[in-house]
Formats: sequence, C-alpha cells, structure tokens
Amino acid sequence: MITISKEFPLIVIKALDYIYPNGTVALKNINLNIQKGEMLGIMGKNGAGKTTLIRTLNGLIRPTSGDIYINNENINSRSIADLSTYVGLIFQNPSHQLFANSVEDEIKFSLKNLYLNKEELQIKINEILRNFNLDKYRDRSPLNLSGGESKKLAIASIICRAPEILVFDEPTLGQDAREIESFIKLINSEKEKGKTIIIITHNIEFAYEFIPRTILMGGGEIIADGPTQNVLNNNFLTERSSLILPQTRQLSLALQEIGFQDINKIVTKNDITEYLIKFLRNKTTSAQEE
Amino acid sequence: MSLEFLNAFKFMKKESFLHNLDPRAKLVLALTYTISALLFKQIIPLLIIFLSLIPLVIIGKILKQWLKSIRGLSFLVLFIIILNTLFMSLSFAIAMILRICIMVSAFSIFFLTVDPNDLALSLISMKFPYEFAFSFSLAFRFVPTIAIEAQNIIDAQQSRGYEMQKKGFINQIKNLFPLLIPLIICSIRRAFNVAEALESRAFGSKKDRSYYYTIKFTLKDWIFTIYLILFLIVFIFIRIQFSIMPDWFVWRLPV
Repeated sequence: MITISKEFPLIVIKALDYIYPNGTVALKNINLNIQKGEMLGIMGKNGAGKTTLIRTLNGLIRPTSGDIYINNENINSRSIADLSTYVGLIFQNPSHQLFANSVEDEIKFSLKNLYLNKEELQIKINEILRNFNLDKYRDRSPLNLSGGESKKLAIASIICRAPEILVFDEPTLGQDAREIESFIKLINSEKEKGKTIIIITHNIEFAYEFIPRTILMGGGEIIADGPTQNVLNNNFLTERSSLILPQTRQLSLALQEIGFQDINKIVTKNDITEYLIKFLRNKTTSAQEE
Repeated sequence: MSLEFLNAFKFMKKESFLHNLDPRAKLVLALTYTISALLFKQIIPLLIIFLSLIPLVIIGKILKQWLKSIRGLSFLVLFIIILNTLFMSLSFAIAMILRICIMVSAFSIFFLTVDPNDLALSLISMKFPYEFAFSFSLAFRFVPTIAIEAQNIIDAQQSRGYEMQKKGFINQIKNLFPLLIPLIICSIRRAFNVAEALESRAFGSKKDRSYYYTIKFTLKDWIFTIYLILFLIVFIFIRIQFSIMPDWFVWRLPV
C-alpha cells in the first residue's frame, strides 16, 4: 500500500531510460518531479516519447534503467494491478476498453478489484453515473454511445477507482467544443479534490489556458520544463516540437506591433476580449466627448 | 503480457535465398511441412522433419525471429505437456509439441519471407479472383496492426485493475472477454473503414486490370519446389511402409 504524504514530490523520476526491444531509444535520461495536486502537461511531436513516459508510471512499461518513485517509494517491483489503484491511465481510444453489456456493467468491472460489498458498489456506481451525466445511458450498451459519451464513460471507469494520479492521453482529441468544456470542468473538479493530473496533449490552445506547467519532449528527452505560458511563448521551443504559437499569443504579438504594449501579460482568450472591449469603449467614449 | 512474439510472423525485407524465392514456392514449403508433420505421431520422424527446417531458417537469415515464434509457443507447450501426459503419454506429448513447432515454424518462415503484395500477385497468377487475393494479402498485412491493437487493449484494461492471470480454467476463459470483445469490435470497425476507403478509390470498378509488378517462377523456384515434393513423397512412403522402419525410428520414452 502506498501512503500519500505531503513531504516529498508525489512523483520522482530519476535518470529514466527506455529502449524498445527492437532497439529504438524511446526515453533518454528523464528526470522529473511532480508535486501532489499539480497539473502537468506533456507536449511534443509524435514519437517524442510522451506516451512511453506515461506508460512507465503504472508499470505497463518497465524502464530499461532509472527509477520511478511515487511518494518516495520505488515502483519498479510493483504490479500493474497494484499501481492502477494509484495511477489511473486514461487512453486515447475508448473503444479499446469498453466491452460490457451495459454502461453500468462497465463501471462495475472497474470497481470489481476494489472488493466493495454489494451495497457500497451500487452507491459508488450511482454516484459516478450521476457525476458524469451517464445516468440516462445506464442500461445502454457502451458500443452504442457517441464518441464523446464513450470517452466520458472511459474516463468515468478510471475515475471511479479514485486514483491519486490521473493521466490522460490526448483527452481533447476528436472532441467538440462542448465536450472539451465539460472535460475542463471535470479536471478542475478533480484538481479541487487534490488529485495530481498529467495530460498529454497536442491541443496548444487548451494547454496554454488551462495547464499551469508543461514539459516539452523531443527525441525521448525533456527539452523544456516550466510554466506553460513561458514554454509555449518560446518560438525556438515550439518550432523544435512541431508546435505553433497559441492564437492568443499570436494576437497579442500582432497587437503589440501596432502599439498595444501593455497587452504582453495577457494570456487567456477572455482577458484579451475584455481588454479589447475596454479599449474600444474608451475610444468610443473619447470620440463622443470630442 | 506482451504480444511481441507476433512479430515473428511479420514480413521483413532481407536479401537471402529464401526471400528471393517465389511466394508460391514458399507456400508449397509451408504446406509440405504441415502435411509431413500431420503424417506422424512418433518423436523421431517429427524430430527429423523439425531439424530439416533449421538450415532453411539459417539460409533465410531469420533465426532470431523464428526463435521468437518458438518461444511464443511456451504457454501452448505447457498446456500440451500437461494434458497429453495426463491422458496419453509423455512420448505422445513430446511428439505433439514437435508437430506444433513444425507447423508454426513453416508458417513463420512463410510470413517472415513473403511480401504481402507478392502474395496477392502469386494468388492472382494461380487464377484466384483479384478480390479474393487482395483480401487475403490485406488480412496478412493487418496481423501486426491487430497485434499492436491487442497490446493497447491489454494495457487499457490493466490500467483499470484487470488482472491477466486468474486461477482456474473457467476463470481464465471468462477473463478473455474484456480483451476479445474490444478487439473484435475494433477489427470489425476497421474492416468497414477499409472497405469504404477502397470503394472511394474505385476498387472493383473494372473487371480487367493490369499490374505494375509481375512475378516469375524461375529455375531456382522449380528446383526448390521439386525438392519439397520429393521430401513429401519420401515421408509419405515412410508413413505407408512404417512397419519396415528400424526400431530406433519408432523409439518411445519408457514413460
């Protein structure tokens, strides 16, 4: 049993290397500390080693060399089943895990290994279905759900196990704006509960606005680690990772060029909108006064 | 659990005598060895057939991959030993292991050395309809993709507490459902997508079609095929005349 304490970083990765059996070097000397309750983004081009890195966190991949500590305890000898209680890994493709006859059974399968009694199990299922707005689909086959709903069910089937660390692989991929919005609500509520959240994403706008810290990966190495806005505002780093500057950053740079110097510190879409509305209002008022 | 052993059936382009043979000759090889293996249930003849595959594996420069395919059989080998030793005899169990190894090796050699595109061409040259030949080579090409998908499914289920090893035969069968159902569904979905993609590129719009590449059965292919046919004839003869074979040929373990 891993007991979570606040004295150390929750996750410590030391000199981690991983080489695939065919000789491909996937991870090279990864050193990383993640604090409890932190939200971390992992970005980088395809083949940079992002997915390999998160797979080492719950033992799906065992490092070639190096160590991973969760709450100061080396996890190298821990079983996947044991680690899955602490690290909930949510995969890109929900159809890789949905198989049960109904949405309710799908959640039940995830809870099976937690050894709850019948009553506790039903309470937990009801709670999770209600929280994820999946109540109305309770008896429906998971295979008949829409893309967004099946993704929601896949996430629910991991979150119901209440892992301390949540790891998402491309959660916004193929999601419409409303679905992304509801995902953001979900991660915020999990963060409020003190969960540590790690998100692999190519969605630069999403990362720029909602993820406080980001690591950029390239060629199996960490090439940058810091506050998301600092990392993603860096032209050199974004180009090296096949990323483009976030739209809000591009807009603020364009506005700076035409004289809006004080816009530099504005980051989010809402802030820029507010800034421009304020500016236009002031301009209209001064024009009327003239 | 890793499905890496499935790579032992994935074509790898190499320069070797076996790779340069016509796919039809290699199909004859796979069939010859499969039939030969099915002819016997004694250790010695099966061992001879099995050992005769090794030079081919070395010539084909596929020793490492072939060994992987044999290693991948370890679970099945254990299963065969337990069941056959319990209900038959240890000699019979060893013979059955050799039989399985020969068949798996023959097809492993075939899949490792035959380019899926060449396979379609060879089937067409054997007068199979193009649609059939294409579907066959497509199925062949998707083996590694399905292996990757199966591995992803295992990983996804393990991430929510699914345990691969369960005690008891019934439990082990039940335990396969979380893996098989998503795999079958993903495969069916992919099949529909591939069919739509093919149709959108006018697959089957004309009956007669030309081919950019052609394959030819050369002298070395004939020599190799004749060798295989002779090999099969010899073993069929031995099977028919089994009673006149020396004692060592029908040797059995005392238990």
